[in-house]
Amino acid sequence: MDFLKKYTYQLLIGGCVLAALLFFSLNVPRSREANVIERTTLSLLSPLLQPVYRFSGFVEDIRDRYLLLVDTHNENIRLREDIRALNLRVHEANEALLENWRLEQLLNMKKRFKEPMIAASVIGEDVTSWFRSLVINRGSSNGVRGGMAVISAEGVVGQTVKVSATTSRVLLLTDHASGISAINQRSRARGVVKGRGEMNCSLEFTTRGEDVKVGDILITSGIGGVFLKGIPIGEVTMVKRGEYGIFQTVSVRPATNLPHLEEVLIVQRGGYE
Amino acid sequence: MSRRSALLLFFIVITSIVVQVSLLPIFVISPFKPDLLLVIMVFIALRGPFEAGAPLAWILGMLNDVCSGLFLGLNAATFLISFLIIKSVSGRMYAGSSLLFVLTVLGVTFVNFALSLILMVLFTTTSGIVYSMFTDFLPHLLINAFVASVVTLFPNFDEQVPTT
Repeated sequence: MDFLKKYTYQLLIGGCVLAALLFFSLNVPRSREANVIERTTLSLLSPLLQPVYRFSGFVEDIRDRYLLLVDTHNENIRLREDIRALNLRVHEANEALLENWRLEQLLNMKKRFKEPMIAASVIGEDVTSWFRSLVINRGSSNGVRGGMAVISAEGVVGQTVKVSATTSRVLLLTDHASGISAINQRSRARGVVKGRGEMNCSLEFTTRGEDVKVGDILITSGIGGVFLKGIPIGEVTMVKRGEYGIFQTVSVRPATNLPHLEEVLIVQRGGYE
Repeated sequence: MSRRSALLLFFIVITSIVVQVSLLPIFVISPFKPDLLLVIMVFIALRGPFEAGAPLAWILGMLNDVCSGLFLGLNAATFLISFLIIKSVSGRMYAGSSLLFVLTVLGVTFVNFALSLILMVLFTTTSGIVYSMFTDFLPHLLINAFVASVVTLFPNFDEQVPTT
């Protein structure tokens, strides 16, 4: 008895441990089932667990939706920047593609003729509305002289006037002061294409008897030495033969889209100092 | 004209030329190109001193000619004549008035048009240009008046240009 009295505490602890181990070992085979203790405990706790869980969900929502929104906002800004940068790159790529296409057309035109040519970009236009001229970024330092022909991939643009060291003015074929000797590509009828100020021209000095029809293409005749022979000038849009008079009235639409011109070629032939 | 005014004028003129040659043609169709240098000239004629204004008007016209057409000196002459006409009457008017400024720009646009037409008919052989000038005249008049009215909205428009 003395032994029991002396070691009561240790024996109690050992018994408890043993009971716990026994309890555990007995429940191992039914580990997937809820026993009475589990069921009762869960039933008792569930009224408490539910609102607490909801509350913690609410707190989590606050954290995710509001506190973490700072990151979302920053991320949103970054993504928008990315989209903007990508859009810019797509735009630049498209622009480069179009420029490449235009320059290819210009190169094809350059290959057709043996004369040396200089490529130039349009950098300005006439400040008044009744004269038609352009400013290009090539001048005497690049070998440009006054009176040289300026062409585009589509056809005639005009000729250089007032050349400075780095820039030149181009008198467009639509200017009133411009006149270019022309031939009708189909009938070989001759005339002079004169500017009419607007974005169109007229074929002058073509006699009534000459065969000119709407849709005919006019090309440079090569007479005068400024323009090479065979460059498209424009298309005939109207022909009017009056009852009287020696000449017929012919309207011409320029082959080159002059208001949207960006790159041109200067033919290095002739010209004056 | 003070050094500050001269520098400001120089900056405005250069900006106007760049805008008129390279920027506006991209966004504005041909008849609606404003004549910014003409507006500047009218402003100088109404507000500035005669001694500095007369050569300035001629220079502004020359700048216009450099950037336009074939005939160097055409606008220089018309600008100078217009300046002299304005100067001959501006002393008797309230030059600070916004309405007067807009009306003067309208009048000078018309005078400039008429003088250019006369000079070109007399001295050049660009026969068809008369038609173009007449068709573009009304839009040109309206756009210049519009630009002038915008200029009147600038702060300190009513202030007299310092002459010393």
